[in-house]
Amino acid sequence: MAGITLHALTKVYPGGVRALDALDLEIRNGEFFALLGPSGCGKTTLLRTVAGLETATSGEVRIGGADVTRLPPGRRDVGMVFQDYALFPHMDVADNIAYPQRVRRVPRAERRTAAAGVAAELGLDGLLGRRPGELSGGQQQRVALARAMAARPRVFLLDEPLSNLDARLRLEARTFLKRLQNELGVTTVFVTHDQAEALAMADRMAVMEGGRIRQVGTPGEVFRRPANLFVASFIGSTPMNLLPARAAPGLATAGDDLVYGVRPEYLDYSDEPLDGAFAGRVAVVENLGSTSLVTLELGRDGGAGELVHVVVGEEREPRPGARGWARPRPGRALLYRDGELVGAAEEAVA
Amino acid sequence: MARATPARAVLHRIGVAVFVSAVLGFFSLPLLWLASAPFDRDPQISASLPRFTLDNFRALLDNPYALASLRNSALLAAGTAALVVTAAALAAYALSRVRVPGRDALLYLLLLLSSIITGTAAMVPVFLLAFHLHLIDTRLGVVLVLTGGLLPTAIFILKDFTDATPPSYEEAARVFGATPLQVLRHVVAPVIRPGLATVTVWTVAQVWGDFLMPFLLLRDPDKAPAAVVMYTFYTEGGQADLPLLSTFSLLYALPVVTMYLFVSRRYGFRFHGGIKH
Repeated sequence: MAGITLHALTKVYPGGVRALDALDLEIRNGEFFALLGPSGCGKTTLLRTVAGLETATSGEVRIGGADVTRLPPGRRDVGMVFQDYALFPHMDVADNIAYPQRVRRVPRAERRTAAAGVAAELGLDGLLGRRPGELSGGQQQRVALARAMAARPRVFLLDEPLSNLDARLRLEARTFLKRLQNELGVTTVFVTHDQAEALAMADRMAVMEGGRIRQVGTPGEVFRRPANLFVASFIGSTPMNLLPARAAPGLATAGDDLVYGVRPEYLDYSDEPLDGAFAGRVAVVENLGSTSLVTLELGRDGGAGELVHVVVGEEREPRPGARGWARPRPGRALLYRDGELVGAAEEAVA
Repeated sequence: MARATPARAVLHRIGVAVFVSAVLGFFSLPLLWLASAPFDRDPQISASLPRFTLDNFRALLDNPYALASLRNSALLAAGTAALVVTAAALAAYALSRVRVPGRDALLYLLLLLSSIITGTAAMVPVFLLAFHLHLIDTRLGVVLVLTGGLLPTAIFILKDFTDATPPSYEEAARVFGATPLQVLRHVVAPVIRPGLATVTVWTVAQVWGDFLMPFLLLRDPDKAPAAVVMYTFYTEGGQADLPLLSTFSLLYALPVVTMYLFVSRRYGFRFHGGIKH
């Protein structure tokens, strides 16, 4: 087991595309770490560079303190699960799981016994003789995991582990993965473009954009205090309300490009006037199950026609067209200057 | 499309049936002859119900070159197939994985030129080349020339299969520490096995049927393959020796047909040609 340290890691593809841009990152021993970002942000390149499938243009990759930047993938002691699982179609499940041992020239009988052991851990007992083509998506994923585990690596790398599963199975696999990682305690890095997946599974996460890391933190930190407007708009299943703000005269932040941000979940809705609340007319009500997403069109106080989303509990769901007020919870409204977080709106204003 | 009147539809179907029968007859008559003539006491150039005998086979066994030539054919075919399949697999794998500028142009050019190498047009240069390399009257010479001629097409066929193999298979193997050769042996070769089988059968059939190159490069009649020996089956009067020729033709055709049926059953032929199955 080992942590991963990246130092000034840069990857420039032969066409000049800078996929990783002088990136620094510390992933701690035993951590379940998510690399999150939109497609093309370099998260997969980062994972593949750690695996050794891509060579870094410059910079350093350390696994467990040892510099592995120039080592071939097979000597880095990592186990990887690919997005398409990459199970060998001509081998049965047992041979697939035993493949890492085959490369190490472990005798066939011995490695198949070991494979059966790992398969049992993942609930694949009855499937050892099947070919990958005869398995469901969830089973294929577990076989790919078992194969990565069979090598007993110091680090697991998972490339979009849930993207090939259908929605229902995805939830199940999410819980399964998180529990497995917890039990094994092996440093695990996974790549995802789905912020909900990253928030749900990771101990810590890095949000990436354009080959750079925009924020590193626990899911709670990243959700509650996005460090910049990119993270603020990327994280959260209902996007954060971002409103242009003007500093009151005489404040230190006067004259700058300010944005006021508050998550729909951190706004309390009321159908009666409240102090320090956004007032407006209910434009749309979207049912989210136990809650509703209410869109308020700000009328008098705010900017003309600005829209504010509020998550409202089912008991106080308003009718479209009604007047409504939304008040941010203390400390949850944030202020951004030139795209970067300044602090909670109250502190910044005070 | 406008619906044809019933009368026209019937006429159309009759026309199609007649045409198909004619084509079918054209191709099946020689096969019929091949099936009946070897067992006929006095085979003619037409297909007829044979007056049954096995004498023709006895006569064939007495011919000093007949059986040996089949063995020669087998040697040439096996040697060429081994070379072609190995070299084509390596080349196709490399070509589908490594970015080479002008790769497709190169492949098409090779494909275009390959038909010349084993063709009549290059007869003289090939002969001279073999002469200077001391490869005249050696099986190796024939194998090398045929390999050169067949390789481009073989690479072309196999590249279709290697292209269809996801690179993640190889990356997975590499992450577990497999060397490039292990990746090829454990992962790529088994995955493209139907392609390898296709190319093997195709190569064997090509070499088996090739007349010109062994005729040109081999002198010793003991080394001549079946296709060349068949050419010598004449009676003293200069007439084609039909009993011997028909019997030998049957023996000559059997191995290829058997091989095709075996491989087809075992692997199933899968030419992708851009069509996903």
